[in-house]
Amino acid sequence: MSYSAQALRRQTLTASASVSTTARALHKRRVELRTPAWLAVAGALGLSVMGVAAIATTEPALATRQIAFLCVSLLAAAVVTLPHFRMLQRLSVPLMLAVLALLVFVMIPFVPEAIVRPRNGARRWISLGVTDFQPSELAKIAYIIALASYLRYRKNYRRFLGLLLPLALTFVPMALVLVEPDLGTALLFLPTLFAMLVAAGAKLRHLALIVVIGLASAPALYPILQTHQRNRIDALYYQIIGDDRHVQGIGLQGDKAMMLAGAGGLTGVGRAKSADLLHHNRLPEEQNDMVFAVVCCRWGALGALLQWGLHLAITAGGLLAAARTRDPFGRLVVVGAVAALFAQMAINTGMTLGLMPITGLTLPFVSAGGSSLLTAWLMIGVVLNVGMRPSQYLAPEPFDWTSRDAE
Amino acid sequence: MRDDRPDSSFFHRRLLLLGGLMGAMVLMLGAQLGRLTIAEGDARLDRAERALKRSTILPTHRGRILDRRGRVLAHDDPGYGVAVRYGVITGTWLDETARRRAASEAGRGAWAEMDEAQRREAAMRHRPELEAMRGRLYRALCEHGGIDEVELARRLALIMERVERTAEHVRERQREAVVARYGEEEAARVYRPEPIAEERAAHPVLERVDDDVAFSMRALELELPGMFEVTDARRRVNPWLQCTVRVDRRSLPSGLAAEAPLDVVLAGVADHVVGSMRRSYAEDVERRPLREDGPDRDLAGYRDGDLVGASGVECAYEAHLRGARGLVRRRVDSGETERVPAAPGGDLRVTLDVALQARVQAVLSPQVGLAVVQPFHQNALLPVGWPLRCAAVVLEIESGEVLALVSTPTRAEARVAEEAGTAPAWVHDAWINRPAEAIYPPGSIIKPLVLAAAVTEGALDLDQTIECTGHYFPDEPDHLRCWIYRPHYDFMTHGPLHAEDALARSCNIFFYTLGDRLGLARLTDWLRRFGLGAAPGLGLAVDMSGAPTGAARAGESGGFLMGSEEIARLGSGPQRSAAISLGIGQGPAVTWTAVQAANAYAALARGGVWRPATLVDSSASSIEGAAPSAPVDLALDRRGVRAALEGLRRAVRDGGTGHHFMNDAGAREEIFDVEGVTLWGKTGTAQAPPLRGADTNADGEIDADDEAIMGLDHAWFVGLVGPADTSLPMFAIAVIVEYAGSGGRVAGPVANQIVHALQDEGYLPVPAESPARTESPPPHEPAPPTTSPPAPEEPAG
Repeated sequence: MSYSAQALRRQTLTASASVSTTARALHKRRVELRTPAWLAVAGALGLSVMGVAAIATTEPALATRQIAFLCVSLLAAAVVTLPHFRMLQRLSVPLMLAVLALLVFVMIPFVPEAIVRPRNGARRWISLGVTDFQPSELAKIAYIIALASYLRYRKNYRRFLGLLLPLALTFVPMALVLVEPDLGTALLFLPTLFAMLVAAGAKLRHLALIVVIGLASAPALYPILQTHQRNRIDALYYQIIGDDRHVQGIGLQGDKAMMLAGAGGLTGVGRAKSADLLHHNRLPEEQNDMVFAVVCCRWGALGALLQWGLHLAITAGGLLAAARTRDPFGRLVVVGAVAALFAQMAINTGMTLGLMPITGLTLPFVSAGGSSLLTAWLMIGVVLNVGMRPSQYLAPEPFDWTSRDAE
Repeated sequence: MRDDRPDSSFFHRRLLLLGGLMGAMVLMLGAQLGRLTIAEGDARLDRAERALKRSTILPTHRGRILDRRGRVLAHDDPGYGVAVRYGVITGTWLDETARRRAASEAGRGAWAEMDEAQRREAAMRHRPELEAMRGRLYRALCEHGGIDEVELARRLALIMERVERTAEHVRERQREAVVARYGEEEAARVYRPEPIAEERAAHPVLERVDDDVAFSMRALELELPGMFEVTDARRRVNPWLQCTVRVDRRSLPSGLAAEAPLDVVLAGVADHVVGSMRRSYAEDVERRPLREDGPDRDLAGYRDGDLVGASGVECAYEAHLRGARGLVRRRVDSGETERVPAAPGGDLRVTLDVALQARVQAVLSPQVGLAVVQPFHQNALLPVGWPLRCAAVVLEIESGEVLALVSTPTRAEARVAEEAGTAPAWVHDAWINRPAEAIYPPGSIIKPLVLAAAVTEGALDLDQTIECTGHYFPDEPDHLRCWIYRPHYDFMTHGPLHAEDALARSCNIFFYTLGDRLGLARLTDWLRRFGLGAAPGLGLAVDMSGAPTGAARAGESGGFLMGSEEIARLGSGPQRSAAISLGIGQGPAVTWTAVQAANAYAALARGGVWRPATLVDSSASSIEGAAPSAPVDLALDRRGVRAALEGLRRAVRDGGTGHHFMNDAGAREEIFDVEGVTLWGKTGTAQAPPLRGADTNADGEIDADDEAIMGLDHAWFVGLVGPADTSLPMFAIAVIVEYAGSGGRVAGPVANQIVHALQDEGYLPVPAESPARTESPPPHEPAPPTTSPPAPEEPAG
């Protein structure tokens, strides 16, 4: 090797090392506190406060407990924002495997009740002593991370057959959650997948075809649903056609929720009266799945609009953060998080307002309960993490597909 | 310098699409929110607020039913009962209350954390106190109810047995419904028996406790909440359900006459008129539910288990009698209390004189014998002693008010006979109020109406005679014969007759002739004016279908009268034949009730002025449907009316068919022996349809093996009566004895006893020189000796 060649090689190595160092430095150092993700944080905080107040309407003691859960959740969210989100991507596979293992674990019949305590026939909770932990809540985050990790550098989902593997990946955790049974949480996986595929650039006609096929084949699933699930669909059907013979039976919860939500009128009936109405009408799950009825009853339509506004703030903050980052994983994980939160909100408020069948699904940030609140705030933590690290790549814009790509 | 603005790349457009989709979903949710909170907000708030209201329903009184002299025929008897919750009896209340108390004590969070064993243990700590409460209740029941523990246990066991039997039946139906919905296999997995209403309800353990006991138990109820209820146990009582009437038997036909009076024990006086009560059906509640709330609040509405009038005026005037419950409603949030006092039901006065009704019922009682086949009846087809079903009406001519409306057997008598298994043919169809609902061919009692119509229509010159030749058509001696043209009377004929005598002797040929001359259309038209073919409007009619059509009504019948369309369809030959038969009240063109017969005769007595017969006091104008109808002048020729009345007067005098009969010993017996009165009357012997419901093969059962008995006649007597010193009749009487044979020899003596009853009750004068009848105290004053205290009917709601 000649001197010049050696010098050239040294210079090249030095230059290369310098470029690499600069890129890494760019990754590590660029934490920007000015990010639209704060909008999402503000929305989530507003909703959490609203949730505590809603819970305090009838159960002040439970509200205090909820404040404690909120503090823990905020701390957890803050912790999630500390490491670079790429670490989540690296952990995606082990995290997903761990969650799948937990989902299988809760269904093992001989696990002592001290560890897995069935409630109302469902095996969803692992006892942690001070509180219970619901693996299906964690599964939502693990799924979003795993799917984002899978989709980030691929383009096969631009073909119809390429959508089958993401769908198959979705059905594994979804099926495990479904047999707990937790139909509500299981149903969240599909809109999350849909949103992430849309963002990743899957062809809309392919997605539309899948949606049409799914909707067309949905009635075939009815016979294999459990009896109480069928009852809830039946109750919605009877409510829509105006058949009130079942309002004291299978339609009781839905009817009471609609009644109490409507009773709030435009501005609500206030704390004292809403507490009386809720107490004496005995709305089932008033602090959990049906907390939106409490919001409507206490603060009326304006309160409900405020709540939706805060949810839209989360959505907007998340989508803007996704728009600013150039990291494909970061983009998808944020879209998945806000989509999951929005879908959960839409299903929960939809069932309270009588547009969807009743499913055991909490209202994010608002419903009482540690697992639900923690999961929601972890998602906000992920959104903020990505939002604070726009990751300026020396690379083409990810997911900037043209009509010729992957044809 | 990095540009902070997001690039308008493909990815960003997709984000915009997602944002748009989410916004659209929020808009959709917002639309539904607007519907619920703004469009329907008030209604939903109103519904939600119902849970804040604690209501106590106050009982009401059902109105009384009174007779024309103010005597009570039916009234509510207030009272209380004590009913124990089924869960307390079975012990499930102890378990549930113990768990509830334990959960409350532990707090919601802690209870949720407990496993089943911990919960059970926590609940067990509350059991002793609850068991002590139950023991206290049972001791109070024994003490206040005057029963011992064994009797209490027996009553509780009976309740459990009854509820378990019902629950078993209901659950089987529930399971069948689940199987029908999900299939056998899935149903076996998902079916969970639900508690039935009886398992959630309180069941009466003490009935008819007095006010002091009710007060004590109410005080205990505050200390033992949710374990029992002090219930309103008012009942509907009919004081005339049983009474005794003394009958003077000296004026009865010779086979029945006796010097000693007979005390006749009656059951169910006027029970067809007063009617009965029943528990509400689902249809009642559906038709008019009790509504405590809202603009359509209706406290007169029905709940399950309410008592509802089932028949008679109890049914026809249900809305008037029922009343409306009261309501005390307290809001749990504000303490505000609303009181709506109970509105008692209105009293209802009927035109009946219940004492006269009882006397007429006594006359028709099998114990007296007039309504039982007797040798002097000369009934060749029914055995002596066969009880006969009867209907009798007494009507005040001036007002049209019905003083007595008797149907035998009464419903109470039929119940007793059915339980004893006696006289099955007698109790057949006993639920029918015969004088108002049962329809019969008129037979000869229609003749005075035909006569008056014929004179008015110019079909008969009263100065001329019509000759009775024994049979109507000269060359057909076996067809359309006079009743006298029979071998028994050596084929006699009446010869030439004037109208009055023709009526007095009931000559068929004379009235065949009038029927033929008038023709079917004109004759039926006149009968329609006399009220035939339309319900008389007594006030008993009940709409059975919701449609105000005659066919859908029950309670009173209008009989049958051939309409003009049917007449037109018949053709001239059949029309003529029907008209000739109708002249003597036979044939297919007409049937009527005893009330219609009495009312038609009353119209004649008024000189041709018809007015509806009434059973409900028309002065009570607030009662719907009871407003009096205006009298209608039928525009009859006065000479025809006079001739008809004269014929009726002669009919009960010597030579008339209503004057005497030859008894089984061949002796002549006068039908009427009442002094101090003037009588007008007409006998009728109407061909009856085959008698079914008789145990002809004497196997103790009425079944398909029994043959219908053919060739029997119904015995009619319809008459008018007034004081001897006036030529104006005051009362119309109609009697029909079913399948009994001759009107003169069977129904005539009954009418004679009804005239005696009118005298006994002071409606007709008793001449001072007449032989004193056996002292016959009115059934109501002093209180009639009853065989047992007036038995209550149903408890009122």
